[in-house]
Amino acid sequence: MIPRKPDTTEIAIVGAGPAGVAAAVTAARAGASVTVLDEYARPGGQYYKQPVHTDGGPSYPHSLASTIQQGRELLEGLSHPGIDLQCNTLAWNISADELVLDLYSPAGARALQAQRIILCAGATERAVPFPGWTLPGVIMAGAGQLMLKAHGLLPGKTFLLAGTGPLLQLAAVQLLEAGAQIAALVELRSRTEFLKSAAHLWRYPDKLGQGFATLQKLLQARVPIKFGHTIAQALGETEVSGAVIMRVDGDGQPIPGSETRFEVDTICLNYGFTPATELPRIAGCEQYFDQDYATYATATNDSLETSIAGILAAGETRGMGGAEVAVIEGQLAGSVAAQQLGFSPPFDQNGLSDKRLQARAVAASLGKMFQLKPGLCALAADDVPVCRCEEVSAGEVRAAIRNGVVQLNQLKPWTRAGMGRCQGRICGDILRQIVAAETGLPLSEIQPFTARAPVKPVPLEVVGGPVAETDTLTWEDHVGGYGVART
Amino acid sequence: MKAQRISKIEHGTPVSLIVNGQEIQAQAGESIAAALLAAGQRQISQNSKSRAPRGYFCGMGMCFECVATVDGVPNVRTCITEVTPGCVVETGS
Repeated sequence: MIPRKPDTTEIAIVGAGPAGVAAAVTAARAGASVTVLDEYARPGGQYYKQPVHTDGGPSYPHSLASTIQQGRELLEGLSHPGIDLQCNTLAWNISADELVLDLYSPAGARALQAQRIILCAGATERAVPFPGWTLPGVIMAGAGQLMLKAHGLLPGKTFLLAGTGPLLQLAAVQLLEAGAQIAALVELRSRTEFLKSAAHLWRYPDKLGQGFATLQKLLQARVPIKFGHTIAQALGETEVSGAVIMRVDGDGQPIPGSETRFEVDTICLNYGFTPATELPRIAGCEQYFDQDYATYATATNDSLETSIAGILAAGETRGMGGAEVAVIEGQLAGSVAAQQLGFSPPFDQNGLSDKRLQARAVAASLGKMFQLKPGLCALAADDVPVCRCEEVSAGEVRAAIRNGVVQLNQLKPWTRAGMGRCQGRICGDILRQIVAAETGLPLSEIQPFTARAPVKPVPLEVVGGPVAETDTLTWEDHVGGYGVART
Repeated sequence: MKAQRISKIEHGTPVSLIVNGQEIQAQAGESIAAALLAAGQRQISQNSKSRAPRGYFCGMGMCFECVATVDGVPNVRTCITEVTPGCVVETGS
């Protein structure tokens, strides 16, 4: 690789979702030069994804139009002259010492050095494995929403939605308004658990009201809501033609004999989310176990500074919280970073901190309500692939655990789970659940896979430079393989 | 199973692309995955080990189940890559 001086900026922000955009706009209005990096072609992240064809006007289904509109208002701030928005740009590595990000875009590879870096990488949807879950037509619920929001495309005709939490109901309403048939909404929580948990939200009448309004729309449309059930099987040869659901006990264990079958062409899954923490982990930012969502996330202080000097984090990367939390934290992080560089940010940081704590408290209540249940691991029968990329079965994972494996990093060399193209993003959290269920260890003691650069696959020459025929390959202990000696 | 374009929503200008040798219609600005789903092609890749069919799954470029060869470049995530007029897509590997 030809050593080249990195580009420079005052504040680099990774991710142009709600947190990243709010951070960028806040810091730029304070006077800082900001570079926003996003892997996708357009800003907005997943939540504020904008339609590719239209302005998302009144022709969009009502429940989508309001989110699109909110997003558009936030994104308008990106036109500030202090913001350099770089889309189609993957930040695939981070150096904590020099605050340098390695970037890759179709135009090529380069590096960007910043005085402050704000990581707003968002989150990943979570599914649980069950027979047939790799069939085309089984999609994440958010992936279904994206087809609606971005493309005005209904990814099927007759849907079954399964999982746990408020996103499923919202997605169901959006699909209905777009003209879909919904065969059933399958919610892990029993009706009693659902109502009990709703009672925990009494202090937040807005959230409660929104939740009930959504539920009411589904009931009015006579969508069958199967509380206390889970998806148990996707049927079909080359794509989905049906679904089997089962009743579950209090631990989430499917009850034999309770199977019900539905004729559907599309199954949408959402069993919660996991924070995207690859870059902060590569940088060495301390992680913590978020008890409310039972996931690891990036630790920060109240000013949203991570344990690494110069690196801040906002939004889901710090722990699941939703778009509202993400926007507030983006404003706070942008404000803190700008102030540290000598600018006067437009926000009162104390006020933002109070708002942030309130919004985080609501998110924490929601997290506690909709955690996964350990009995769901029973759906992954021994012949079901858990790691979709490498097709590692649940049986292979369980055999490794019987042989003494208790951490995900030990599973990797043993089974190849997590070593495929998705780098464990889909299976990582599922594997933690299975290890916990098999060993009895608490989830907090099972660490995520070690994050390594590149965080997503990039062409080899981007990482190591072109390999000339005359280059000598030398054994490199730290990677356990041959590499080109770098000078 | 063909994905349905919601009729109330204004769609983009038509463009065509070549998928496994066949011309299909798409709309400017949309992702290759959207064009494939609208054309009824749900299987986009196959697992390298079992050859089992795979398709659009996460929608946000993290699962790599919807990868295809686009204009000769392998492993392109069709869910986050926009169609370009006349682009050549090979699925199923």
